[in-house]
Amino acid sequence: MDAALRQVEAAPAPPPAFPREVPIQYGAALLVLVLVAAPLLPVLLQSLLDGALYDDEYTLTLANFARLARTSGFGQVLLNTVILAGLTTIVAQGLGTIAAILFGRTDMPFARTLGELFLWPLYLSALVLSFGWYAVYGPSGYLTLLWPSVLGDAPWNLYSLGGMAAIAGVSQAPLAYIYCLSSATLTDPSLEEAARVSGAGTGRTLWRITLPLMMPAIAYSAVLNFTIGLELLSVPLIFGDPAGITVLTTFLFNNGISSPRPDHGLVATAAALMLAVVCFLVWLQNRMLGNTRRFITLGGKATRPRPFRLGMLRWPIFALALLYILAAVIAPIGMLVLRAFTSFLSPMIPLSEVLTVSNFVTIFDYPVYSRAVWNSFVVSLVGGALATALIGLIAVIVHRSEFRFRNALHYLALFPRAVPGVVAGVGFFYAFALLPGLGVLRNSIWILVIAFTMRFIPTGIGAVAPMLLQVSPDLDRAARVQGADWWTTSRRIVLPLMRPALVGCFTVLFISFFKEYSTAIFLFAPGSEVIGTALLQLWVQGEVGLVAALAAIQVAVIAVCVAAVRGLFGVKLHG
Amino acid sequence: MADLVIEGLTKRFGGVTAVEDVNLHVADGEFVTLLGPSGCGKSTTLAAVAGLDRADGGRIQVGGTVYFDAARGIYRPPEARSCGLVFQSYALWPHMTVADNVAFPLSLRKVPAAERRRRIEEVLALVEMERYAGRYPHELSGGQQQRVALARTLVYQPAILLLDEPLSNLDAKLRDRARAWLGELRTRLRLTTIYVTHDQIEALALSDRIVVMNGGRIAQIGAPQDIYERPADPFVADFIGTTNFLPARVVTSAPEGGRALLELADGQRMEVQADRAATAGSRVTLAYRPEQMRIADGATDGGAVLKTRITSRAYVGGLWQVGLDLAGAPLRLETRQPPGGEELHLWLPEAGGILFRGGADVAA
Repeated sequence: MDAALRQVEAAPAPPPAFPREVPIQYGAALLVLVLVAAPLLPVLLQSLLDGALYDDEYTLTLANFARLARTSGFGQVLLNTVILAGLTTIVAQGLGTIAAILFGRTDMPFARTLGELFLWPLYLSALVLSFGWYAVYGPSGYLTLLWPSVLGDAPWNLYSLGGMAAIAGVSQAPLAYIYCLSSATLTDPSLEEAARVSGAGTGRTLWRITLPLMMPAIAYSAVLNFTIGLELLSVPLIFGDPAGITVLTTFLFNNGISSPRPDHGLVATAAALMLAVVCFLVWLQNRMLGNTRRFITLGGKATRPRPFRLGMLRWPIFALALLYILAAVIAPIGMLVLRAFTSFLSPMIPLSEVLTVSNFVTIFDYPVYSRAVWNSFVVSLVGGALATALIGLIAVIVHRSEFRFRNALHYLALFPRAVPGVVAGVGFFYAFALLPGLGVLRNSIWILVIAFTMRFIPTGIGAVAPMLLQVSPDLDRAARVQGADWWTTSRRIVLPLMRPALVGCFTVLFISFFKEYSTAIFLFAPGSEVIGTALLQLWVQGEVGLVAALAAIQVAVIAVCVAAVRGLFGVKLHG
Repeated sequence: MADLVIEGLTKRFGGVTAVEDVNLHVADGEFVTLLGPSGCGKSTTLAAVAGLDRADGGRIQVGGTVYFDAARGIYRPPEARSCGLVFQSYALWPHMTVADNVAFPLSLRKVPAAERRRRIEEVLALVEMERYAGRYPHELSGGQQQRVALARTLVYQPAILLLDEPLSNLDAKLRDRARAWLGELRTRLRLTTIYVTHDQIEALALSDRIVVMNGGRIAQIGAPQDIYERPADPFVADFIGTTNFLPARVVTSAPEGGRALLELADGQRMEVQADRAATAGSRVTLAYRPEQMRIADGATDGGAVLKTRITSRAYVGGLWQVGLDLAGAPLRLETRQPPGGEELHLWLPEAGGILFRGGADVAA
């Protein structure tokens, strides 16, 4: 036996002159480069041209910028954009911080359950939430109609900057909540206990210790929410446009898509402007956080510090929190689902007379709508799987190889965070119009798969990287020493070990692809509609019942996904 | 099996030189230990041999195969070398069973299935783990994981075996057993082995030769007994075993092996047999092992008796550890009976102490 082990094996083969990791690594890096550059270059180029990008003759010029500045009302557009993003941030940060303290740090009854419900807007698109709010608080909304009979005219108006900021704020508050909560759970509880022991009461400890410790999280998520507020398309499109309030995203949409004669120079210049601003804000976020995760995946359980005692206020505060959850989350979603199952919804008419499934029947009878649902599933399932494969490969190259340009690749892969959905939409639209031979793709759902993949690479990396960093590098080193090259090691050791993270990544991408609309509305064509674009089309046609039914389908699918993943893996998904 | 030649190995991390000009020849079948405190460059040297780190200068050759040669621009990636490396963390793949872990290197070498099964069985029997073939790593104890890691490395018959602190993750009792087992395996297999550790007992018990490293350089190479009895400098003396250092001044010169008269800081004088030549007037440091010193009991045969002050007493089970102050130098003495009083007469042998030139720069 020992003799067998002592046999001398032949000298190892010399290393190949051209290892096979070279084409794999360079290929992946090139693919990411093309994906990220494809929408950006045409936008930047078009902003500097006097004619359309696809014309034969054009000259480089800065005239577009001057023209944009002179465009009447553009100053108002910029002002509206900043006000809306600012108000949204204030609402989101206020709600999120209070929620983090109430649900995370006090002995309020049912804090956990309310905290879970508070997160729900995050899983839905702002588009769906807008429809929900419309159904409750819109001009013919359930509560708006109910209100006057009791208390006179309803005091709210969704068709205003304040109304839009309320919806957007509620939809983005979960982000502030998550960041503040994770900061609170990571803080050493003895810091608060020390204050209590030194004689500070609940209020003083909160104000002097807890809140200041949360400040970095509040500041970071504020910049994040401001950025998302700038990029927001759905809320201004639904409530701003009818009231004549235009922001940058709707300006791009109206001039680039809806207009019969699009002014490409103007659109591209506005898009480039937006890109520059968001790039700056993302850079600011990175500086503030010191790391590059805009999309975070919380996992594991941190120890909870001792909760603050609310004393006599326990139940009154609970009632207020419950009222908020009911009014801002449960009522809109519930009313939307209810609207889907009725022909008409009004407090004046008994529910039993209007209950029907005809909305769903219509959706599945008309090929346009059923195709949108089908396309959404295909794009999310197939596209999500392809994107997961690409993201897994990127993560392994960036974190587990000696690839020369791995840092550059990492930067490149995270760059789409700085590309707003509407800008990506405009950019891919130009790119596919420009490049010959891609016409086939242009009218298919694959253009959406490509654009969505580019958009959500950073989200996927955020879901995969933390787990990959937890896998000890000794595990791949052991395989290398035993004679496996980089690719064999990645395939047989690293990627199998990452399986849970890859499943998590796929789910996050599935949900993101399923609810995405802002990029899609620039890219879809007859035949390649998805739920998001169909929702907007139906909305324009005034088919509120069908909108509700389609939105209800989206809500149901996402709810099943979130529940399944949380049940299976115990991970929280955000993104 | 093959021999290992390391010439002028140098590795820098940024501005820090982790390994500087390391030269070492390990003969075919020899078991050599790299010993030193953390950060001494021993693990960096091992990683350079395995190919996990690319060194900045020097040459590494195993058998007839050049693994690395900075001058000729040769660098073989780890998979093109024929090293077996057992990691400190064992690095067993958690998604594979014990048998699958061991089979992995064989499948890379396209060993036919029947032969593969035979070799897996054989190597698992060698490490006494044949009953655990179907288990997953997390179902094994630390000692069992270590055996599987070794089996996974032995199964493909590497040219040299590299062991990176394989016992350091085991608790004290288990470590003693594993060390004895490893020693037994070593005598049976006679593999060319580089063993990295910071534990002097492992090094002394297992090695043919020990390489003591300090600050990225080799401080001394020698057989275990050489290193212990004739350390090359105060660092080695201090690192291997407990050592008491006594600074002194030479009063009368002596050639190598001659008798020199020394004076301590407080004026006490003693005569010793100098293992190195000593010149009058120069500063020296005298090193003694605790077991070489004892309480003077009247007879002063072949040694010096010095007056010391007692600074501490501690019972450590069976023995008393007595802290002494001799002319400002702290000493540690082990004795069966606790001494009484404030002062103690200490007997030091004439021969056996080691004379180093210069002051000792190590904390005793």
